Amino acid sequence: MAKSSGDDITISSSLDHIAAVDEFLEEWLRRQNIPEDTIADLAIAVTELVNNAIKHGNKGNLAKKVTVSLHFANGVAQATVGDEGEGFDPESIPNPIAEENLLKAIGRGIFIVKSLMDKVEFAFPATGGTRITITKKVVN
Amino acid sequence: MKLTSREEKGVEILEPKGKIMGGPDATMLHDYLHDLINQNKKKVVIDLSKVEWMNSTGLGILISGLTTLRNNGGELKLAMITEKIESLLTITKLITVFENYDTVEDAVASFQ
Repeated sequence: MAKSSGDDITISSSLDHIAAVDEFLEEWLRRQNIPEDTIADLAIAVTELVNNAIKHGNKGNLAKKVTVSLHFANGVAQATVGDEGEGFDPESIPNPIAEENLLKAIGRGIFIVKSLMDKVEFAFPATGGTRITITKKVVN
Repeated sequence: MKLTSREEKGVEILEPKGKIMGGPDATMLHDYLHDLINQNKKKVVIDLSKVEWMNSTGLGILISGLTTLRNNGGELKLAMITEKIESLLTITKLITVFENYDTVEDAVASFQ
């Protein structure tokens, strides 16, 4: 299931829907006249977070949803990715560029998001789930 | 993502096209690389000139292919990486792990 309206898209927790999220995101960003290089950075970051939300947050439970909400104002693009999982400790993620982790196949997602974005905020609402908001200043 | 391949001078050349972001397409590249290893084809070049971008799923597939090939006496080399992918490889320090060539021909020749 992938359902979009306005500035949001909601999918069920299947990696089959990642491409639908990317398509929705890139079309939305192009409508804001955001440069292609910045669109690519945002697409990389959002698809990272959606992958994590499906696999680690919702643990592939198709009954649980992942929502992406987009916002653009005053030259700043923002995306919030929410899941219905149990949350996690962002500080507990091993450093992927440490020598001992360099050849591991996984564990680079959040590191890449932080590298590409200007700001990454984690929220764990009392009602459950994880909400990660990324912010990128757009330079035309 | 679409994936084509060819063999040249005993080297398998893979040419993914599009974006590598996770999902069924990424699984296809991962499975293809591991099938090559099962077929004892251990010299692999991935031409990344037509990959617009990849996220950590794509990087993970490259690393998994590289380590599996090396563990079996083979090697995976990259050719024609785009500026965006070079930036990701630099950020993640994977640029120090992969051999990277400006042309597919140079990458193939490096195996001879």
